[in-house]
Amino acid sequence: MIETSRKSGFFAILGRLWFVLTAVVLIIGFYEAMTAPKEATMGNLYRVFFYHFPHTILSFIFPYLNCGASLLFLWWRSRNIERAAKADAFALASAEVTVLYTSIGLATGMLWGRAAWGIWWTWDERLTTYLLLWLLYVSYLLVRQFSSAGQTGVVSAVLAIFAAVDIPICYMSIRWWRTQHPAPVFGGGADSGIDPSMYAAVLWNVAAWAMWGAMILGYRYALERRRQQYAAAIAFGFLSNDPPPGFEGAR
Amino acid sequence: MNIPFHTLSQRHLVYAYCVVWLLQFGYGTWLAVQWRKSNR
Repeated sequence: MIETSRKSGFFAILGRLWFVLTAVVLIIGFYEAMTAPKEATMGNLYRVFFYHFPHTILSFIFPYLNCGASLLFLWWRSRNIERAAKADAFALASAEVTVLYTSIGLATGMLWGRAAWGIWWTWDERLTTYLLLWLLYVSYLLVRQFSSAGQTGVVSAVLAIFAAVDIPICYMSIRWWRTQHPAPVFGGGADSGIDPSMYAAVLWNVAAWAMWGAMILGYRYALERRRQQYAAAIAFGFLSNDPPPGFEGAR
Repeated sequence: MNIPFHTLSQRHLVYAYCVVWLLQFGYGTWLAVQWRKSNR
């Protein structure tokens, strides 16, 4: 009991420190994005890149966390129920963060496309596979919300494994095909890259949004664990059937 | 930095930053509210 209390106290302090540090890095990232030199052809509009790029790159990473957690859930569900519940909570948290980051990647990309290309959308390979990625994780959350209680974990875990197949296709689409979307800025060959004076803005913003993503992922996971523990307490009859505020959706 | 808001490209730059902050901090606020409720 004392050990559990110490552990939760440690995580509470860590969470607050992480929040302060993330806020500082976000402010530095914003400052760097606003003060980076103007781009020759697009002028100030290219500054969308400093937010679009980190969100898009991170939206390729969070789904793998979701896939990994889903595989662990399937492995543990008949071996270790406690670990399986933790993996399931982590899968849900990472799917929500994936939808958030993918939504921002789509929205910033469309706003940038309208100003740079004159169109909001085109069905090229990168945009289409990225839209598919967003749809897959939205459907993952819908499955979790509406499937019958006993099968939610298994059905969503299987869907998560199939959804992860889209990530390498989407990532490689601008290398495999000629697309309306520009060729890769980093790792795209001799002609790719940005001016070194813009590196600081890119790196600070990747760090800032990665830290923010890790923080909301951690809190969402902890919230889901609380809901699971509350639902388990209800199931075993330790508590009354009236859920307290914040636990209305607990199953 | 001067952002002439009347041009489409500059306006869309502002919109893009607003979308990011609104979605991220909207979700963050929802999470914080749920977290506080679950503390009770």
